[in-house]
Amino acid sequence: MAGLELLSDQGYRVDGRRAGELRKIQARMGVFAQADGSAYIEQGNTKALAVVYGPHEIRGSRARALPDRALVNCQYSSATFSTGERKRRPHGDRKSCEMGLQLRQTFEAAILTQLHPRSQIDIYVQVLQADGGTYAACVNAATLAVLDAGIPMRDFVCACSAGFVDGTALADLSHVEEAAGGPQLALALLPASGQIALLEMDARLHEDHLEQVLEAAARASRDVHTVLDRVVRQHVQEASVLLGD
Amino acid sequence: MAAGFKTVEPLEYYRRFLKENCRPDGRELGEFRTTTVNEFGAPPTDAPDKGYVVPNVDLSPLCSSRFRSGPPGEEAQVASQFIADVIENSQIIQKEDLCISSGKLAWVLYCDLICLNHDGNILDACTFALLAALKNVQLPEVTINEETALAEVNLKKKSCLNIRTHPVATSFAVFDDTLLIVDPTEEEEHLATGTLTVVMDEEGRLCCLHKPGGSGLTGAKLQDCMSRAVTRHKEVKKLMDEVFKSMKPK
Repeated sequence: MAGLELLSDQGYRVDGRRAGELRKIQARMGVFAQADGSAYIEQGNTKALAVVYGPHEIRGSRARALPDRALVNCQYSSATFSTGERKRRPHGDRKSCEMGLQLRQTFEAAILTQLHPRSQIDIYVQVLQADGGTYAACVNAATLAVLDAGIPMRDFVCACSAGFVDGTALADLSHVEEAAGGPQLALALLPASGQIALLEMDARLHEDHLEQVLEAAARASRDVHTVLDRVVRQHVQEASVLLGD
Repeated sequence: MAAGFKTVEPLEYYRRFLKENCRPDGRELGEFRTTTVNEFGAPPTDAPDKGYVVPNVDLSPLCSSRFRSGPPGEEAQVASQFIADVIENSQIIQKEDLCISSGKLAWVLYCDLICLNHDGNILDACTFALLAALKNVQLPEVTINEETALAEVNLKKKSCLNIRTHPVATSFAVFDDTLLIVDPTEEEEHLATGTLTVVMDEEGRLCCLHKPGGSGLTGAKLQDCMSRAVTRHKEVKKLMDEVFKSMKPK
């Protein structure tokens, strides 16, 4: 493809990263006092905010209540100013619904829903700036928010995207790399057990290369886990200092 | 003990505090995030020299459990309309400034205000956020090519918007038909018997007065509110100037 070279001969990407290198992650927990749990994450230029309410009583029809588990409700919304061109519909369109569903499926696998039967846990994610890897940023932010809310989870859920260019697997794609049109894989991992909560890819990729890409995504997710773990520990330390322990 | 008292008799709890003229918690405004996006549009036929400013307030379930997902509810629509009125009445920007070519091309400014955390008093927060965002807007220079009649945008040369006035909103919550609290939090708004919002600009001119029903207020009380709004404007203006000065190097 003429023009933009996604991977140079020396092995550098467009933004100067190496193939398996993640973008800089900065995260904060407990940003809002109003919600039960909240978190803000920045992965490079992608900024996502997650807010958790719950567990609380089911809103709307009581019939939806599950007798043995909690209902997880996720909503994904991307701000009108998050992309280069103004987005007309921040939520309710197909892509947002699909993302919401994927987030719900991911978190139903991780949250110990059996501990809260007949109740509902709401996870709202808002993307403030989209520069590639929005699903990953949303999952990472939602994990921190759920932890901030004190809802028990099996493990952290860490997500990362991966792509494949010139025979090399790239981790944590930016918007430029996503728009280039190569295969992209989104992976949500439970790091301790190595179990995959969600795996999504819609592009053509030769099966010989799949393992390489999957490995790159898994490694990147574990790196994300290291960062998130540090953020959580720091937050707990700060909170206990404030409480005067 | 205080927490128990608060749930059982919320109104009494607040009354006790109001007597001492203080508030139980630090004042917290709902956080807001605004951006303005520029787009081209044709000016309306009845005003060929004017551009558009389209405000939109988004109160999502993210900011408070009161709101449901779906189309904008009542509160969001009222807030959007309030902001539109403030822009129109206070003349923050002259719509003529937004016109590129009379009758053919004008700027459309979309102002999207997203509430991230709702703790009462959104109207005040919206107005500040809007003002800050408008100060930050940079419009690229546009020239109309005579031959092709197409617009050519020069992204290198950008100019700021000409902000004429700085309207500041001050909201009050009315308690028991007599007591007034400035800058109410969500709990206070919930317990209040009425609310009032006054928008003033720096020359002491009233831009907008919003009193959606609720308990009645005497004329004297209203005057009192307006003088408090003038003092608040001075405080807020000082704060805003500090922020804008720190934002300058761009």
